[in-house]
Amino acid sequence: MTTPISVSACARAATAEEAAYRIDYPLAYARSTRVVAFDETAAKTVRSVSDGPWGKAQFYTTSDSGEELITLDGERRPMAMEIEHSDSVIMVATNSIVSNAAAAVGVACRERSIMTAGLLLLDAGALGGDALSALRPYARILLVPADEEDLFELLKGIRA
Amino acid sequence: MGKLFRRYWQPVLHTDELPEDGCPPVRVKILSERLIAVRTPEGEYGLMDEFCAHRGVSMFFGRVENGGIRCPYHGWKYNADGQAIEVPSELNNSEFCKNVKLRSYPLVKVGDLLWAYLGEPKMQPPLPTWEFATVPSGQTFTSKRLQESNWLQALEGGIDSSHVTWLHGGGPTGAGLEADPLFAGAKGNQYNKGDVKPSFEVVENEGGLLIGARRNAEEDHYYWRVTPWVLPNFTLVPPRGDHPVHGHFWVPIDDENCWAWSFDYHPTRDLKEAEVAAMKAGAGVHSKNIPGTYRPEANKDNDYLINRDKQKTGELFSGVEGIAIQDSSLQESMGPTVDRTKERLVATDAGIIKARQKLRRAVEALRDHGTEPMGNVPEHQNIRSVAIVLPADQPFVEGIGDGFEARAGVRQTTV
Ligand code: FES
Ligand SMILES: [Fe+2]
Repeated sequence: MTTPISVSACARAATAEEAAYRIDYPLAYARSTRVVAFDETAAKTVRSVSDGPWGKAQFYTTSDSGEELITLDGERRPMAMEIEHSDSVIMVATNSIVSNAAAAVGVACRERSIMTAGLLLLDAGALGGDALSALRPYARILLVPADEEDLFELLKGIRA
Repeated sequence: MGKLFRRYWQPVLHTDELPEDGCPPVRVKILSERLIAVRTPEGEYGLMDEFCAHRGVSMFFGRVENGGIRCPYHGWKYNADGQAIEVPSELNNSEFCKNVKLRSYPLVKVGDLLWAYLGEPKMQPPLPTWEFATVPSGQTFTSKRLQESNWLQALEGGIDSSHVTWLHGGGPTGAGLEADPLFAGAKGNQYNKGDVKPSFEVVENEGGLLIGARRNAEEDHYYWRVTPWVLPNFTLVPPRGDHPVHGHFWVPIDDENCWAWSFDYHPTRDLKEAEVAAMKAGAGVHSKNIPGTYRPEANKDNDYLINRDKQKTGELFSGVEGIAIQDSSLQESMGPTVDRTKERLVATDAGIIKARQKLRRAVEALRDHGTEPMGNVPEHQNIRSVAIVLPADQPFVEGIGDGFEARAGVRQTTV
């Protein structure tokens, strides 16, 4: 059964002219994005992207266990509390990812249904299976390999 | 972006549209240019400016004659290269002719399609080698439909795997894709249903990107569906069982319309009669068009024949029949060119973000350094989509090995 198009409805899909008149209101920032670097090399990239024009994004490295997130100013905060009110966590690592920190953060996100994305930066040579295994189970989407511009574009895209 | 497109061969016509030597010409609009395609009585293909160099009438009304096409207004005649060869009104006919030439582009047949190259002659890349166009004719089927939206909007739908479980859900038996004869019965469908929240991996590839959707399979294994995108506008869908592989070309007509070319092919066997019948009837990625046109019967003027009852019961999640129209209905509803400053992307859109970035980089590299774009050479075109089960700790690119390579006589990697 198809319903006839009623006279009061906009019978046609949007046209270019109409699109130009779409109601214009500023988009709010995403609620809050956390960007976490899991090794020294990744931290450099995160640091350099962090001075972008961001709204509510926050940038960290982690303690070895992942129980603490460390702000770029060196302040240590409990990880669980820091991610509690975020809507996405972006995990950044390179082949030199070593600790179990990614697992701790990943599990905490999963328990809270927080969207996760992973960026594996290629520091040297081919991508290591270990780096992949460390992030893969926890990232809803993984960019392999990624670079600084990817992190920037992703943050821009999600209005972080 | 237009300049980038002019570095590639693009499909412009099905060979059926110029079915025989000396047949009527066909109007072609591509990259906002209006052109006329001819097939001379000698069998030469030509693609040239639609409008006569004299007073600008449409050569669509011209008469195809030996050696070319003649304008019906005052009888100027052009060969397949657009070169004027007779100007009856001029006394010194041949001298005048030399300086009259309609802009023309090469038009060549590869497979069942006619391909055009609209760029500078000296930059012309090798002829297309896409597997769907180069397998024997019985193994492949291609259809086209008009999509009333910008090509990029359509392409972005093609690489956005996360919409599949939503938009294409439901079906006559409530079994989703299972109900479509071109998908049914594959083991992969069970993994699909068993894990409705896939994760994604976006991997750089020489010609573009590989977008892998991963679902849980047996213990410590993942079921991967890998969609290649090759710059600028070619995508493949991962295979299912022994069904044909399908994919798309999204060819810009102008900023607000594109041709969605949809193809199905099998690398090693002929398509079955029943399969071709289903494709012709609009199953799978194909559409049922208004007879004599390439506009789908379900289009924006009739709200794509949406069925609210089926939508309510969930028999068809979107209420719209057919994968192709499910996609086009929503992509056209965004407007001819969606305003991307008003989007609110989420992390799973990273594949789209990455594709836009690659396109932008390619455009800039071409503009600023004349860098040859990727995707217009055989090495980038001999590619396949893949569906495979792999151990959980393996990079999918490694596990699949040469499954991505189109190799004559070798079956696709599929589950
Ligand atoms: S307009 Fe074509 S010959 Fe005069
Ligand atoms: Fe789709």
